Amino acid sequence: MYQTFRQSMTWLHTWFGLVLGFVLIVVFFFGALSVFDREIDRWAQPATRFAPQPMPSFDHLLRPVFERITEPDPDAIELARSLVDGPLPEKYPVMDWSAYTTHRDPVLDVYVSFDLPNARNPDDHVHGHQTIDPRSGTQLPASDLKIGSEFFYPLHYSLHLEWMELGYWIVGFAALSMLAALVSGVVIHRKIFRELFTFRPQKQRQRVNLDLHNLTGVVALPFHFFFAFTGLVIFAGIYFPVSETQLHPLVEAHEQAAAAATGLPHDPAGIAAPLASVDAMVGDAQRRWAARGMGGDVGFLFVNHVGDANGYVSIYRAGTDRIALTGQGIHYKASTGALIREDPPETAIASVNEFLTGLHLQHFRHWLLRFLYLFGGLAGCVCIATGFLFFVEKRKQQHARDGVAGARIVDALAVATITGTLIAALSMLVANRLLPENLVDRDEWQKNVFWLTWLASGIHAFWRTTVVQDGESAPAWREQTLVVAVLAVAAPILNWLTTGDHLLVTLQARYWPVAGIDLFLLATGVLAGLVAHRLRRPALAHTRLAAMKS
Amino acid sequence: MMLLLAFLLSFAGLALLALSMERHWRQLRATQPLPNSTARLLRIVGSAALAISLTLCLAVDHASMASLVWVMTLAVSAFVLAMLLAWRPGWLAPLISWARS
Repeated sequence: MYQTFRQSMTWLHTWFGLVLGFVLIVVFFFGALSVFDREIDRWAQPATRFAPQPMPSFDHLLRPVFERITEPDPDAIELARSLVDGPLPEKYPVMDWSAYTTHRDPVLDVYVSFDLPNARNPDDHVHGHQTIDPRSGTQLPASDLKIGSEFFYPLHYSLHLEWMELGYWIVGFAALSMLAALVSGVVIHRKIFRELFTFRPQKQRQRVNLDLHNLTGVVALPFHFFFAFTGLVIFAGIYFPVSETQLHPLVEAHEQAAAAATGLPHDPAGIAAPLASVDAMVGDAQRRWAARGMGGDVGFLFVNHVGDANGYVSIYRAGTDRIALTGQGIHYKASTGALIREDPPETAIASVNEFLTGLHLQHFRHWLLRFLYLFGGLAGCVCIATGFLFFVEKRKQQHARDGVAGARIVDALAVATITGTLIAALSMLVANRLLPENLVDRDEWQKNVFWLTWLASGIHAFWRTTVVQDGESAPAWREQTLVVAVLAVAAPILNWLTTGDHLLVTLQARYWPVAGIDLFLLATGVLAGLVAHRLRRPALAHTRLAAMKS
Repeated sequence: MMLLLAFLLSFAGLALLALSMERHWRQLRATQPLPNSTARLLRIVGSAALAISLTLCLAVDHASMASLVWVMTLAVSAFVLAMLLAWRPGWLAPLISWARS
C-alpha cells in the first residue's frame, strides 16, 4: 500500500492515534487525577478530612459493623434479578466479610458478600458495601460520592460504560493502539536521540506542536509504554476470559487442588462455628511479618465462610514499601485462631505480575513517585493534544480549499476532549460544593453535572469551530479555556466558603490533601488564564488584518 | 534528601549528555568549537552522574520502586532540560564551566 515502511507507519500513527486519541486523552487525564484520588475524595467529602487511620480492631469495632450489614446493596439486588431463575430470595446467607484500606485512607471500606440462592451460575454472589469512620464505626452516607476513587478513577478504565463491559473494551483497544502508536511513533521519528531535548518555541506553530509532541512522547516513553501495557495486564481477565469459558472445569479443579494443598477450605462445611479473636490473629501476623523484616500494617482483612466450621481468616500486609499491592498473606482457622498457612514467597511469574499491576495501581507510600506519575500522565495528555493540533493545522488549509469538514470535526472533538474534559471535571467539583447537603441523590446530581457540562462543551465546541472550515483558528479554544480558568478559581473559593478550610488554614495545619488540591486548582486557573490571554493575540491580529483589507 | 540529590544528579547527567551534542553546545558557546575529547569527557561524566543517581535511588527504596523512581526522574529531568535549553540555556553554563573548548 505504501512504498516505504516509514510511510505505512506514519499512516498507522496518524489514524489510530487520531481515532483512539480521543479516548486515550480521557484515560490519561483521569488516570493522572486518579494518582491523587484519595486526596480528591477528601476535598469532596469535608466530613472525612482527618488523618489516615490504620485497620481498626476487628473484635471491638469491625465485627459489629459487619453484623449490621444483613443484606446486599439495593443496586446489587437490582443487578441480581437477571442472574437468578425465578424470584429473588427473601434472605441472603452471608458468605465472606472483608475490609480494605491503604495508607492514604481516613475512611474504611467494608464489604460483605452474600450467597445468591437459585443463581443460574453458582459462582455468582451479591455484595453489600459500606464506608465507615474507622474511629467510631459509624457509617458514612451512601450518597456521599467519593469523586476521586468512585468516579474519576473508574472513568479512567471503564468510561462508566458498564453495559456489556463496553467501556473496558474501548479502553483496552485504545491501550493496544497506544502501544502501536508508540512503536510507530519511534519508527517515524527520524532523530529520536539527536532531537531528544529539542524544543523551539520561537519557530512556526507546526514546528512547536511537533517538538512538544515528540518531547512529551519520548521523554516519558517508558511511562507511556508501561502504563498502556500494565493497564492491559490488569484487565487481561476481561479481554481473555479463558478461566470463565473454555478452561472453566480446569479452573474449578485448580481451585479444589489449591484448597487441598494449602489447607484453606474451598467450600463451607455446613456446620456452625464461633469466631475466635481476630485481633489476636492480626497481632500474630504482624509478629511474623516483623520477623521477616517487613512493616506490619494490615491492608486487607478477609473472613471466609463466616460462622462456618470451615471458616478461615486471611490477613494481608499493605504494600506500602513495595511496588506489589498487598501480600505476605497469613491464614488462620476462624474458630480457633490456629495458624493454617503462611503464603510462601511468590514464584517468579507471580512476582512479575504483581510488579506490573502494582506499578500501575500504586498503593505504595512514596510521594515523589506519585508526583512523577502525575507528570507522566499529564505529559501523555500534552502529547495527545499536540498530536490533534498538528493534525488540524496540517490539513485545515487544504480542507478549506476542498470544502471538506474533516479538520473542523477533529478540531471540535479536540476541544471537547481537552478543555471540555477539564470543564466537566471542574464543574463537578463546583457542584459538589454548591449542591445542598441534604439533597436526595446528591451523588447522582454531581454525576449529572459532570456529564451535562461535558455535553454542553461538546456542543459549544462544534458550534464555535465552524471557522476552521475557512482555514482559520477556532474561537472555541479560547472561550473554553476562559471557562476553565473561572471554574478552577471558583472551586477553591467555594471550598473556603462552604467548609472554612481556606489555604491559610490547610497549609498551617499541613493538611496536604485539601491544600494540595486547592493549590493545584489555583495553578490550573492561572495557567488557563495565561493561555486564554495568549490565544487572544492571533484573533486580534486577524481582525486588524480584515479591517485593513476592507 | 538522597532522592533530591538523585534528582539533581539525573538532571546534571542528562544536561552534560545534551551539551556533548554539537547543537546544544553551540547554544552556550556559540563561537567555540566542541573538540572530540571534550565531547567524550562530557559523555563519561554525564553517564557517571546518571549511574550515581540510580545508586542513590537504590539506596533509599526497595529495588522494584527505585528503578521506577529513577526512570521517572529521568523523564522529568529531560523535560525540564529541554525547557531550559529553549528559554534559558545560559543557566546551564556553570555545568560545563570546566570543559575546554
